[in-house]
Amino acid sequence: MSRPQVGLVDLLDRVLDRGLLINADIIISLAGVPLIGINLRAALAGMDTMVKYGLMQEWDNGIREAARSGHNMPAPATGALPASVMPPRLEEGVAAWQ
Amino acid sequence: MELSAEGLRHPLAGAVSARQQAGRYIYCVAGANEVLSLGSIGIEGREVHAVVHNDLCALVHDCVAQPYQSDDAQVATAWVLAHHQVVEAAWHRWGAVLPLTFNTIIEAGDGRSAEENLSVWLNTEYQVLRGKLDALTGKAEYGVQVSWAPSLIAGKIAETSPDMREMEEGIRSRPRGIAYMYRQRLESLLRKEMEARAAEEFKELYSRLSRCVDSIHVEKTRAVEEGRQMLLNLSCLVSLERYPDLAAELDRVGSREGFFVRLAGPLPPYSFC
Repeated sequence: MSRPQVGLVDLLDRVLDRGLLINADIIISLAGVPLIGINLRAALAGMDTMVKYGLMQEWDNGIREAARSGHNMPAPATGALPASVMPPRLEEGVAAWQ
Repeated sequence: MELSAEGLRHPLAGAVSARQQAGRYIYCVAGANEVLSLGSIGIEGREVHAVVHNDLCALVHDCVAQPYQSDDAQVATAWVLAHHQVVEAAWHRWGAVLPLTFNTIIEAGDGRSAEENLSVWLNTEYQVLRGKLDALTGKAEYGVQVSWAPSLIAGKIAETSPDMREMEEGIRSRPRGIAYMYRQRLESLLRKEMEARAAEEFKELYSRLSRCVDSIHVEKTRAVEEGRQMLLNLSCLVSLERYPDLAAELDRVGSREGFFVRLAGPLPPYSFC
Protein backbone atom coordinates (compact mmCIF):
# COMPACT_ATOMS: atom_id res chain seq x y z
CA MET A 1 0.00 0.00 0.00
CA SER A 2 1.28 3.46 -0.83
CA ARG A 3 1.98 6.03 1.84
CA PRO A 4 -1.20 7.71 3.13
CA GLN A 5 -1.84 11.03 1.45
CA VAL A 6 -4.53 13.61 1.89
CA GLY A 7 -6.03 14.95 -1.32
CA LEU A 8 -8.12 18.02 -1.91
CA VAL A 9 -11.27 15.98 -2.29
CA ASP A 10 -10.69 14.35 1.11
CA LEU A 11 -10.54 17.79 2.69
CA LEU A 12 -13.44 19.35 0.78
CA ASP A 13 -15.79 16.54 1.71
CA ARG A 14 -14.91 16.82 5.35
CA VAL A 15 -14.53 20.55 5.88
CA LEU A 16 -17.77 21.32 4.04
CA ASP A 17 -19.94 18.41 5.11
CA ARG A 18 -18.62 17.32 8.47
CA GLY A 19 -17.47 18.89 11.66
CA LEU A 20 -19.44 20.03 14.63
CA LEU A 21 -22.74 21.77 13.93
CA ILE A 22 -23.98 24.42 16.27
CA ASN A 23 -27.75 24.50 16.37
CA ALA A 24 -28.36 27.85 17.96
CA ASP A 25 -29.92 31.19 17.08
CA ILE A 26 -26.56 32.87 17.43
CA ILE A 27 -25.26 31.19 14.26
CA ILE A 28 -25.68 33.13 11.04
CA SER A 29 -28.30 31.50 8.91
CA LEU A 30 -30.41 32.04 5.85
CA ALA A 31 -34.12 31.29 6.26
CA GLY A 32 -33.40 28.98 9.17
CA VAL A 33 -30.94 26.80 7.24
CA PRO A 34 -27.34 27.18 8.36
CA LEU A 35 -25.44 28.60 5.43
CA ILE A 36 -22.66 26.11 5.61
CA GLY A 37 -20.88 25.37 2.40
CA ILE A 38 -23.97 25.69 0.24
CA ASN A 39 -22.67 28.49 -1.94
CA LEU A 40 -19.18 27.22 -1.69
CA ARG A 41 -20.24 23.84 -2.97
CA ALA A 42 -21.92 25.48 -5.93
CA ALA A 43 -18.64 27.25 -6.66
CA LEU A 44 -16.66 24.06 -6.32
CA ALA A 45 -18.99 22.02 -8.49
CA GLY A 46 -17.01 23.13 -11.52
CA MET A 47 -14.03 21.25 -10.14
CA ASP A 48 -15.83 17.95 -10.28
CA THR A 49 -18.64 16.36 -12.19
CA MET A 50 -22.20 17.55 -11.79
CA VAL A 51 -23.09 14.00 -10.89
CA LYS A 52 -20.94 14.25 -7.83
CA TYR A 53 -22.37 17.62 -6.99
CA GLY A 54 -25.86 16.14 -7.05
CA LEU A 55 -24.79 13.19 -4.93
CA MET A 56 -23.04 15.37 -2.41
CA GLN A 57 -26.01 17.64 -1.96
CA GLU A 58 -28.40 14.76 -1.40
CA TRP A 59 -25.93 13.22 0.98
CA ASP A 60 -25.30 16.53 2.74
CA ASN A 61 -29.01 17.08 3.31
CA GLY A 62 -29.32 13.59 4.76
CA ILE A 63 -26.44 14.16 7.15
CA ARG A 64 -27.73 17.54 8.26
CA GLU A 65 -31.20 16.12 8.79
CA ALA A 66 -29.68 13.38 10.92
CA ALA A 67 -27.65 15.93 12.85
CA ARG A 68 -30.70 18.03 13.59
CA SER A 69 -32.62 15.04 14.89
CA GLY A 70 -29.62 14.03 17.02
CA HIS A 71 -28.71 10.83 15.14
CA ASN A 72 -25.33 11.88 13.91
CA MET A 73 -23.31 9.49 16.03
CA PRO A 74 -21.19 7.10 14.02
CA ALA A 75 -21.74 3.39 14.37
CA PRO A 76 -19.61 1.71 17.02
CA ALA A 77 -16.98 -0.40 15.36
CA THR A 78 -18.16 -3.90 16.24
CA GLY A 79 -17.58 -5.59 12.92
CA ALA A 80 -21.31 -5.96 12.34
CA LEU A 81 -22.79 -4.09 9.43
CA PRO A 82 -25.58 -1.73 10.52
CA ALA A 83 -28.91 -2.64 8.93
CA SER A 84 -29.11 0.79 7.35
CA VAL A 85 -25.90 0.29 5.38
CA MET A 86 -26.39 -1.06 1.87
CA PRO A 87 -23.63 -2.57 -0.21
CA PRO A 88 -22.62 -0.57 -3.28
CA ARG A 89 -24.57 -0.72 -6.51
CA LEU A 90 -22.56 -1.49 -9.54
CA GLU A 91 -24.42 0.30 -12.30
CA GLU A 92 -21.37 2.23 -13.43
CA GLY A 93 -19.26 -0.87 -13.36
CA VAL A 94 -21.57 -2.80 -15.65
CA ALA A 95 -20.62 -0.45 -18.43
CA ALA A 96 -17.00 -0.69 -17.38
CA TRP A 97 -16.64 -4.42 -17.86
CA GLN A 98 -19.13 -5.12 -20.62
CA MET B 1 -1.21 59.27 0.87
CA GLU B 2 0.26 56.00 2.00
CA LEU B 3 -1.48 52.91 0.66
CA SER B 4 -1.05 49.82 2.78
CA ALA B 5 -2.13 46.42 1.54
CA GLU B 6 -4.84 46.51 4.17
CA GLY B 7 -6.04 49.87 2.93
CA LEU B 8 -6.28 48.58 -0.61
CA ARG B 9 -8.36 45.58 0.40
CA HIS B 10 -10.73 47.60 2.53
CA PRO B 11 -11.41 51.05 1.10
CA LEU B 12 -13.83 51.59 3.98
CA ALA B 13 -11.41 50.30 6.57
CA GLY B 14 -12.99 52.24 9.41
CA ALA B 15 -16.50 51.03 8.65
CA VAL B 16 -15.32 47.45 8.19
CA SER B 17 -13.42 47.38 11.45
CA ALA B 18 -16.53 48.52 13.33
CA ARG B 19 -18.62 45.83 11.64
CA GLN B 20 -15.89 43.25 12.22
CA GLN B 21 -16.88 43.13 15.82
CA ALA B 22 -20.21 41.66 14.75
CA GLY B 23 -19.07 38.08 14.06
CA ARG B 24 -16.64 35.35 15.06
CA TYR B 25 -15.74 32.67 12.56
CA ILE B 26 -15.11 29.46 14.53
CA TYR B 27 -12.57 26.90 13.36
CA CYS B 28 -12.57 24.42 16.18
CA VAL B 29 -12.85 23.79 19.90
CA ALA B 30 -9.84 22.46 21.79
CA GLY B 31 -9.12 21.38 25.34
CA ALA B 32 -6.81 24.22 26.29
CA ASN B 33 -7.03 27.38 28.34
CA GLU B 34 -4.22 29.34 26.77
CA VAL B 35 -5.17 32.86 25.87
CA LEU B 36 -3.17 33.14 22.71
CA SER B 37 -2.99 34.14 19.09
CA LEU B 38 -1.95 31.62 16.47
CA GLY B 39 -0.99 34.48 14.17
CA SER B 40 -2.33 35.38 10.76
CA ILE B 41 -3.02 31.83 9.64
CA GLY B 42 -6.79 32.10 9.15
CA ILE B 43 -8.97 32.47 6.10
CA GLU B 44 -7.57 35.28 3.93
CA GLY B 45 -4.75 35.70 6.43
CA ARG B 46 -6.98 36.69 9.33
CA GLU B 47 -5.53 36.61 12.82
CA VAL B 48 -6.70 33.51 14.72
CA HIS B 49 -7.05 33.72 18.48
CA ALA B 50 -8.46 31.62 21.29
CA VAL B 51 -11.63 32.43 23.20
CA VAL B 52 -11.24 30.60 26.49
CA HIS B 53 -13.85 29.16 28.84
CA ASN B 54 -12.62 27.00 31.74
CA ASP B 55 -10.29 24.45 30.18
CA LEU B 56 -11.81 24.79 26.72
CA CYS B 57 -11.10 27.25 23.98
CA ALA B 58 -12.56 28.07 20.61
CA LEU B 59 -10.24 29.25 17.85
CA VAL B 60 -11.79 32.14 15.97
CA HIS B 61 -11.15 35.12 13.79
CA ASP B 62 -13.08 38.39 13.90
CA CYS B 63 -15.29 38.88 10.88
CA VAL B 64 -18.36 40.57 9.53
CA ALA B 65 -21.54 38.70 10.35
CA GLN B 66 -21.90 37.28 6.87
CA PRO B 67 -21.10 33.85 5.50
CA TYR B 68 -18.25 33.30 3.08
CA GLN B 69 -19.59 33.03 -0.45
CA SER B 70 -17.81 32.95 -3.77
CA ASP B 71 -18.41 31.82 -7.33
CA ASP B 72 -14.71 31.37 -7.79
CA ALA B 73 -13.65 27.80 -7.09
CA GLN B 74 -10.05 28.82 -6.48
CA VAL B 75 -11.07 31.36 -3.85
CA ALA B 76 -13.41 28.86 -2.23
CA THR B 77 -10.75 26.16 -2.20
CA ALA B 78 -8.25 28.50 -0.58
CA TRP B 79 -10.80 29.21 2.18
CA VAL B 80 -11.39 25.51 2.78
CA LEU B 81 -7.67 24.82 2.91
CA ALA B 82 -7.10 27.71 5.32
CA HIS B 83 -9.89 26.40 7.56
CA HIS B 84 -8.27 22.98 7.55
CA GLN B 85 -4.81 24.37 8.26
CA VAL B 86 -6.02 26.17 11.37
CA VAL B 87 -7.81 23.03 12.60
CA GLU B 88 -4.69 20.99 11.91
CA ALA B 89 -2.41 23.46 13.68
CA ALA B 90 -4.65 23.29 16.77
CA TRP B 91 -4.79 19.51 16.50
CA HIS B 92 -1.01 19.21 16.44
CA ARG B 93 -0.67 21.66 19.30
CA TRP B 94 -3.24 20.19 21.68
CA GLY B 95 -3.79 16.62 20.51
CA ALA B 96 -7.57 16.74 20.33
CA VAL B 97 -9.91 19.16 18.57
CA LEU B 98 -13.54 19.37 17.57
CA PRO B 99 -13.51 20.93 14.10
CA LEU B 100 -16.51 23.10 13.27
CA THR B 101 -18.15 22.87 9.86
CA PHE B 102 -16.93 25.46 7.38
CA ASN B 103 -18.72 28.81 7.61
CA THR B 104 -19.80 28.55 11.22
CA ILE B 105 -20.08 32.19 12.25
CA ILE B 106 -21.42 33.28 15.57
CA GLU B 107 -23.02 36.70 15.76
CA ALA B 108 -23.97 39.23 18.37
CA GLY B 109 -27.48 38.93 19.74
CA ASP B 110 -29.58 38.73 22.88
CA GLY B 111 -27.81 41.89 24.02
CA ARG B 112 -24.41 40.18 23.89
CA SER B 113 -21.43 40.52 21.60
CA ALA B 114 -20.44 37.59 19.38
CA GLU B 115 -17.57 36.72 21.68
CA GLU B 116 -19.86 36.75 24.71
CA ASN B 117 -22.32 34.53 22.87
CA LEU B 118 -19.48 32.15 22.12
CA SER B 119 -18.53 32.00 25.80
CA VAL B 120 -22.15 31.33 26.73
CA TRP B 121 -22.26 28.51 24.17
CA LEU B 122 -19.00 27.00 25.50
CA ASN B 123 -20.43 27.19 29.00
CA THR B 124 -23.80 25.65 28.10
CA GLU B 125 -22.24 22.84 26.05
CA TYR B 126 -19.26 22.36 28.33
CA GLN B 127 -19.97 18.77 29.40
CA VAL B 128 -20.78 17.59 25.88
CA LEU B 129 -17.72 19.26 24.34
CA ARG B 130 -15.40 18.06 27.09
CA GLY B 131 -16.72 14.50 26.72
CA LYS B 132 -16.22 14.52 22.97
CA LEU B 133 -12.69 15.91 23.26
CA ASP B 134 -11.72 13.31 25.82
CA ALA B 135 -13.09 10.54 23.61
CA LEU B 136 -11.08 11.80 20.63
CA THR B 137 -7.73 12.22 22.36
CA GLY B 138 -5.01 10.19 20.68
CA LYS B 139 -7.18 9.35 17.68
CA ALA B 140 -7.11 10.42 14.06
CA GLU B 141 -9.46 10.14 11.13
CA TYR B 142 -8.52 8.22 8.01
CA GLY B 143 -10.33 7.91 4.72
CA VAL B 144 -10.20 4.34 3.43
CA GLN B 145 -11.20 3.48 -0.10
CA VAL B 146 -11.10 0.07 -1.71
CA SER B 147 -11.57 -0.33 -5.45
CA TRP B 148 -11.33 -3.25 -7.83
CA ALA B 149 -10.67 -3.74 -11.51
CA PRO B 150 -14.05 -5.01 -12.71
CA SER B 151 -12.78 -6.41 -16.02
CA LEU B 152 -10.20 -8.53 -14.23
CA ILE B 153 -12.70 -9.76 -11.64
CA ALA B 154 -15.31 -10.48 -14.33
CA GLY B 155 -12.74 -12.47 -16.27
CA LYS B 156 -11.95 -14.57 -13.22
CA ILE B 157 -15.63 -15.22 -12.51
CA ALA B 158 -16.27 -16.26 -16.11
CA GLU B 159 -13.27 -18.62 -15.98
CA THR B 160 -14.27 -20.37 -12.80
CA SER B 161 -18.02 -20.76 -13.31
CA PRO B 162 -18.93 -24.04 -15.11
CA ASP B 163 -22.22 -22.50 -16.35
CA MET B 164 -20.44 -19.58 -17.90
CA ARG B 165 -17.75 -21.72 -19.49
CA GLU B 166 -20.43 -23.82 -21.08
CA MET B 167 -22.05 -20.70 -22.44
CA GLU B 168 -18.73 -19.47 -23.79
CA GLU B 169 -18.40 -22.79 -25.61
CA GLY B 170 -21.91 -22.31 -26.95
CA ILE B 171 -21.04 -18.89 -28.31
CA ARG B 172 -18.06 -20.22 -30.19
CA SER B 173 -19.73 -23.26 -31.75
CA ARG B 174 -23.18 -21.89 -32.65
CA PRO B 175 -24.41 -19.92 -35.65
CA ARG B 176 -24.41 -16.14 -35.18
CA GLY B 177 -28.08 -15.69 -34.21
CA ILE B 178 -27.94 -18.32 -31.48
CA ALA B 179 -24.50 -17.12 -30.37
CA TYR B 180 -25.95 -13.67 -29.85
CA MET B 181 -28.58 -15.09 -27.48
CA TYR B 182 -25.90 -16.94 -25.57
CA ARG B 183 -23.85 -13.76 -25.34
CA GLN B 184 -26.84 -11.89 -23.87
CA ARG B 185 -27.44 -14.59 -21.30
CA LEU B 186 -23.78 -14.72 -20.40
CA GLU B 187 -23.60 -10.98 -19.83
CA SER B 188 -26.72 -10.96 -17.70
CA LEU B 189 -25.36 -13.82 -15.61
CA LEU B 190 -21.99 -12.13 -15.25
CA ARG B 191 -23.62 -8.88 -14.17
CA LYS B 192 -25.55 -10.64 -11.43
CA GLU B 193 -22.43 -12.49 -10.31
CA MET B 194 -20.45 -9.25 -10.16
CA GLU B 195 -23.11 -7.56 -8.06
CA ALA B 196 -23.26 -10.50 -5.69
CA ARG B 197 -19.47 -10.59 -5.45
CA ALA B 198 -19.28 -6.84 -4.78
CA ALA B 199 -21.87 -7.12 -2.01
CA GLU B 200 -19.94 -10.00 -0.46
CA GLU B 201 -16.64 -8.15 -0.67
CA PHE B 202 -18.21 -5.05 0.82
CA LYS B 203 -19.52 -6.94 3.84
CA GLU B 204 -16.30 -8.83 4.35
CA LEU B 205 -14.11 -5.71 4.02
CA TYR B 206 -16.36 -3.69 6.30
CA SER B 207 -16.32 -6.42 8.89
CA ARG B 208 -12.54 -6.89 8.83
CA LEU B 209 -11.69 -3.18 8.75
CA SER B 210 -14.16 -2.23 11.43
CA ARG B 211 -12.33 -4.55 13.82
CA CYS B 212 -9.15 -2.46 13.38
CA VAL B 213 -10.69 0.94 14.10
CA ASP B 214 -12.44 2.75 16.92
CA SER B 215 -15.36 4.11 14.96
CA ILE B 216 -16.53 3.98 11.38
CA HIS B 217 -18.72 5.82 8.86
CA VAL B 218 -19.75 4.34 5.53
CA GLU B 219 -19.52 7.01 2.83
CA LYS B 220 -21.02 6.95 -0.62
CA THR B 221 -18.75 5.40 -3.19
CA ARG B 222 -17.65 7.71 -5.93
CA ALA B 223 -16.36 7.48 -9.44
CA VAL B 224 -12.67 6.64 -9.59
CA GLU B 225 -10.17 6.38 -12.40
CA GLU B 226 -10.99 4.58 -15.63
CA GLY B 227 -11.04 0.82 -15.32
CA ARG B 228 -11.62 0.81 -11.58
CA GLN B 229 -14.73 0.77 -9.48
CA MET B 230 -14.96 1.81 -5.85
CA LEU B 231 -16.35 -0.93 -3.63
CA LEU B 232 -16.03 0.70 -0.27
CA ASN B 233 -15.51 4.23 1.01
CA LEU B 234 -15.07 4.63 4.75
CA SER B 235 -14.14 7.29 7.24
CA CYS B 236 -12.45 5.64 10.18
CA LEU B 237 -11.49 6.93 13.59
CA VAL B 238 -8.28 5.19 14.58
CA SER B 239 -6.26 5.33 17.77
CA LEU B 240 -2.50 5.35 17.61
CA GLU B 241 -2.29 1.80 18.99
CA ARG B 242 -4.68 0.36 16.44
CA TYR B 243 -3.20 2.02 13.36
CA PRO B 244 -0.70 -0.80 12.69
CA ASP B 245 -3.62 -3.29 12.62
CA LEU B 246 -5.46 -1.17 10.08
CA ALA B 247 -2.35 -0.71 7.94
CA ALA B 248 -1.67 -4.46 7.99
CA GLU B 249 -5.25 -5.27 7.02
CA LEU B 250 -5.14 -2.76 4.17
CA ASP B 251 -1.82 -4.18 2.97
CA ARG B 252 -3.49 -7.56 2.83
CA VAL B 253 -6.40 -6.19 0.78
CA GLY B 254 -4.10 -4.25 -1.52
CA SER B 255 -2.00 -7.32 -2.26
CA ARG B 256 -4.99 -9.16 -3.74
CA GLU B 257 -4.98 -9.24 -7.52
CA GLY B 258 -7.30 -6.61 -8.99
CA PHE B 259 -7.80 -4.77 -5.68
CA PHE B 260 -6.60 -1.25 -4.88
CA VAL B 261 -6.46 0.53 -1.55
CA ARG B 262 -6.27 4.24 -0.87
CA LEU B 263 -5.65 5.59 2.62
CA ALA B 264 -6.03 9.32 3.33
CA GLY B 265 -4.86 10.70 6.62
CA PRO B 266 -4.16 11.30 9.38
CA LEU B 267 -6.85 13.97 9.60
CA PRO B 268 -8.46 15.78 12.51
CA PRO B 269 -11.68 13.96 13.42
CA TYR B 270 -14.07 15.89 11.15
CA SER B 271 -16.49 12.98 10.80
CA PHE B 272 -16.52 11.95 14.44
CA CYS B 273 -17.59 14.94 16.45
